[in-house]
Amino acid sequence: MRKYIKFIISIILILLFTFMAIPFAEDKIVQPINFNHKVHLENAGLNCTDCHVNVEKNARAIIPSIEICKNCHSENPISNSPNEKDLIKYIVENKEIPWNQIYRVPDHVYFSHRRHVAIGEQNCSKCHGDMADKTTPVTHQEIPITMNNCLDCHRQQKVTNDCLACHR
Amino acid sequence: MEITRRDFIKLLGGISSTIALNGCTLDDVFEIPEKFINRIKSGPGIEKWKNTICGLCPGGCGIRVRLIDDIPVYVKGNPTYPVNQGGMCPLGLNALHHLYHPDRIKGPIKRIGNPGSNKWEAISWDETLKFIADNLVKLRNEGKSHQVAFLGYEERGLMHQHIKRFLRSYGSPNYFQFSPNQNDTIPYLLVQGNSKVPSYDFLNAKLILSFGYNFLEGGYSPIYYTKLYSHHRETQTIYIQIEPRMSLTGSNANKWIPIRPGTYGALALGIAYVLIREELYNKEFVKKYTFGFDDWTDFNGIKHLGFKNLVLGNYYPERVTEITGIPSSTILEIARDFGNTQPSIAIGGNGAIDNTNGTFSMMAIHSLNALIGNFEKNGGIFSIDDPSFSKLPEIYEDLIAKNGNKQERIDKSQDEKFFLSTFSIESFTNNILSDKPYPLSMLFIYNGNPLFESLNHSEVTKALQKIPLIISFDSIRNETSEYAHLILPDHTFLETWDEVSNVPSVGFTHVGIQQPVIDPLYDTKQVGDVLINLAKRIGGMVAESFPFEKYEDFLKNSLKGIYESGKGAITSEGVKGLWLEYLHQRGWHIGRYNSFEEFWDQLLENGGWWNPIKKEKTLDKFFSTTSGKFEFYSTRLKNQIENLVEKSRGPKFSQNMELILNKLNITARGDSIFLPHHEPVPYNQDLPLHLVTFNVLTNPSGRAAHLPLMQEMFGYMVRQYWDSWIEINTKTASELGISDNSWVWVESSTSSIKVRAKLSPAISPNVVAIPFGLGHTSYGRYARNHGINPYSIMRNTYDCINGRSALEGTKVKISKAV
Amino acid sequence: MPKWAMVIDLDKCTGCGACIAACKLENNIAIVAPAEAQNGRVMFWLDIISSYEGEYPAVKVNRIPKPCFHCDDPPCIKVCPVGATYKNEEGLVGQIYHRCIGCRYCMAACPYTSKVFNWEKPRWLDDTYSCFNPDVSLRMVGVVEKCSFCAHRLIKIKENAAQEKRAIRDGEYIPACMENCPADAIYFGDIDNKESVVHNLAHNFRAYRIMEDLGVEPKVYYLSKKF
Repeated sequence: MRKYIKFIISIILILLFTFMAIPFAEDKIVQPINFNHKVHLENAGLNCTDCHVNVEKNARAIIPSIEICKNCHSENPISNSPNEKDLIKYIVENKEIPWNQIYRVPDHVYFSHRRHVAIGEQNCSKCHGDMADKTTPVTHQEIPITMNNCLDCHRQQKVTNDCLACHR
Repeated sequence: MEITRRDFIKLLGGISSTIALNGCTLDDVFEIPEKFINRIKSGPGIEKWKNTICGLCPGGCGIRVRLIDDIPVYVKGNPTYPVNQGGMCPLGLNALHHLYHPDRIKGPIKRIGNPGSNKWEAISWDETLKFIADNLVKLRNEGKSHQVAFLGYEERGLMHQHIKRFLRSYGSPNYFQFSPNQNDTIPYLLVQGNSKVPSYDFLNAKLILSFGYNFLEGGYSPIYYTKLYSHHRETQTIYIQIEPRMSLTGSNANKWIPIRPGTYGALALGIAYVLIREELYNKEFVKKYTFGFDDWTDFNGIKHLGFKNLVLGNYYPERVTEITGIPSSTILEIARDFGNTQPSIAIGGNGAIDNTNGTFSMMAIHSLNALIGNFEKNGGIFSIDDPSFSKLPEIYEDLIAKNGNKQERIDKSQDEKFFLSTFSIESFTNNILSDKPYPLSMLFIYNGNPLFESLNHSEVTKALQKIPLIISFDSIRNETSEYAHLILPDHTFLETWDEVSNVPSVGFTHVGIQQPVIDPLYDTKQVGDVLINLAKRIGGMVAESFPFEKYEDFLKNSLKGIYESGKGAITSEGVKGLWLEYLHQRGWHIGRYNSFEEFWDQLLENGGWWNPIKKEKTLDKFFSTTSGKFEFYSTRLKNQIENLVEKSRGPKFSQNMELILNKLNITARGDSIFLPHHEPVPYNQDLPLHLVTFNVLTNPSGRAAHLPLMQEMFGYMVRQYWDSWIEINTKTASELGISDNSWVWVESSTSSIKVRAKLSPAISPNVVAIPFGLGHTSYGRYARNHGINPYSIMRNTYDCINGRSALEGTKVKISKAV
Repeated sequence: MPKWAMVIDLDKCTGCGACIAACKLENNIAIVAPAEAQNGRVMFWLDIISSYEGEYPAVKVNRIPKPCFHCDDPPCIKVCPVGATYKNEEGLVGQIYHRCIGCRYCMAACPYTSKVFNWEKPRWLDDTYSCFNPDVSLRMVGVVEKCSFCAHRLIKIKENAAQEKRAIRDGEYIPACMENCPADAIYFGDIDNKESVVHNLAHNFRAYRIMEDLGVEPKVYYLSKKF
């Protein structure tokens, strides 16, 4: 009997850990606006860095603030999209859009967009996937942000694998 | 110096596990506003640096604050600011802990319970200011404007002028400052005729003889002196430190000479003896620029004793050895070094001035500088020019104000004591308690904490309880403001506008700008603005004396004068002293700015302005005594004491003189009273050990006890954290059976305290030392109930001339606690 | 490849403690509760050791600021069972907190007692973002930590230099202790670069290293006339 109990407990524990290891359940994340990257990139002819302005200059790329939306959008809609109406609500109220951040590295890692994009000349899609295809907002990490994925790429590109280059 | 692993292992040892948790856990060490946390989490992380001046001590160091998305995250020294040149002290680095302190007062509050009961209620600024203004108007209408007093701390420059302006136009002579440096210039006043703190040209001096002055750890600007010290290690300047307990300065000096407390004056005169006897003094200077060196005859034909004969007759090495406990060979050695290694400087402070005979000791120390003719020359003593601020607007006084200002100051002693002091806590409290010369109706307290820093603790408590309305401007409630009725919290120095100019004893003219690096976190107001607001509410000429809307405007207006003078330069890289001098000689306009706006912007960007070129002064201008010379024989002291005698209107002059001298605790008679001399300290001879206190760099005057890191680092030298200790000489301790880290009772004639012992060979066997700064009963969660306050067992004695507390005037006995 | 080293001039150092404070604040080192601190669990990455020399009144005090010595042959990495502490190509001895299991072998192995252990959860800060320096992560309970020569600064400096396509200048990468030292007693730089200040000072006649006979080749040099 005891053996069984131990066995059951370990099964339960294993199951628990497995569940915990699965990244956030994807469909639970709902973005406040049904943002369409494709429209912005293809139809409007924008580049990533037009909105994610800090990508080449800073460590953090940041999710664009409402001020950046206002560069093109105003209270008068420029399309028939219902999503733009949602946006206009925020513009009228002059409030920031409460986006959910999807890509985040742990605190103990120093990740710099500048280092990867401006200096390392990496393509955004390497980590973020091809956004030109995306008609719906980002709800999950295209390539999971894990140390293994970091190291794989670093090995392929033959750049430093020193712990202290990223761990802080 | 052999270092072994054993030395390192020692560092790891704890004391014991018997210490009770002081009820302090470190949950929520700091209070950082939620919006900041969010911004730091998801902001773009853009880095900016802003320059300002540190406000944690009055040392005036330039600091550079690192802002990430406009949130201050780190502080370092401003490398281009000439006072500290990028250096920082441990305290200054804690600026942000001060800003984000969880016990900061977040808006005006009103006490609704008894003092210390922690019952306070929030009120609005408008309501509070109206209430205070109404009271001020009422007092004025009743002709009681002089019953309002303002007790400041160590504010200088514009803030000092601003408070003075408020009280002058309102009509009260009672603006006082109670800080450790208060009244320390009185000895200079007596011998030099002016009460400016002299600047010392450490840079070019070859020998620095310090009588107790712990300038690397305390004093006016420790980091300025640390910079000079580090430079001196290259130029081989000799430091000699005389003090009973080896301070940080003592441990870095070439020679540390332990002395019996209270005998610094005797040693200085003993050195003077050698200088005179061996003719090492500057005869030409003494003849031309000093008064009272040789015996002299006055207008009435009466012969007077001169300094020379006083010294030769009384301060021969054997006698000085007997008084000070320093071997006569050492005295000879110091004196010869001092006389032969030119230029040399003698400075005094801390123990030398903090005793009942402080004035005379400092006069004796300063006369060593006169003996070697050490004024207005390289490696000597000089005075620096004030920055050329614009003239402040006029102060208008109406009739009520004029009447009020004519009243006697409320700290004027009722028994002739402290006749030269600018403030005496002793007579201030006594007068409040006895309603003499009049009762006090309202007291403003700004920055200071007299209850914690005074020797007459219980009297101050009673006096505070007696005052009907106390208004404090503290950011964090301390012992004194627990007794306040209203607290109108000030901005911290990182949120405010101010200037910090000409820090005393720093060797060049400078102005540092304190600018807000962040918007005020809470509903606080700058004191300068509060005073303007009150003045406007009072109206009339009081309001007219404040033609500006904000304190910031006063500041900007003052700096116009500096811009217009065209002198000096904004501190920046590459503008070093020599370069400035070169430009100056060529007659070039150094400023690279075309308008005041441009000047102002650059000033804010770089943090300050300075002018290292000083006007050449002739020596007769340097000394502003009646004789125009350095006075060994102080005519000012003579006149003042004779005035007191005449005023007392007794039957006979000589009898009254005796009476007054007794009151002033002066044992000397005849001409020696007015000459530098050794005045024995009236110690309680029944007790065996002298108690001295000292300040550590991490917690000067106990004012940094609210900062958790400073509490942790309080005794990093002796590995005592968050707690006080008593330093005992190793031999004394073994005689008493006291071991390292054991508890001891320290007992004075008035009371006793229990504290942990730290044994050290670097302290006189007849002296014990306790650091000052802990033992708070208020002042935030990290200060409360850690360590002890040595002032609580000290005798309530003062220097009767300048009113300073006799911090080394107590003797104690110690015993092992069981 | 540069080799980072530090020189501390003991003739200039006054023992003021600014380096300790600068280090604690720069690296978000936890402030330990009073009773814990008294029990020897206080956490200073950079500490000052004091010792007295001689008898009263001819006493001298020696004060020595002691960071991690970043030994060239570090004994700590040999005992680490999980490779949480290692030496990189630039001579920095790193401590990777997320790999550390808290066995404290390295603490015992370090001849200079340069490492400290997190006995308690650092309660004073909820998460990294509410601590002061956002460039340094907060350690958790049960890991060993130590002076890193402010390696987090190096990451950024390298990045800046790479962007501007140049080498790191002498004096560009400096730790917080050096930055704030009021006595200018600390020097830092690439000891292999013959032009650097550190290289020259380390070959000064006053230079020595503590317990050199152990052969661990510490990269912190002291300057003192006393030797």
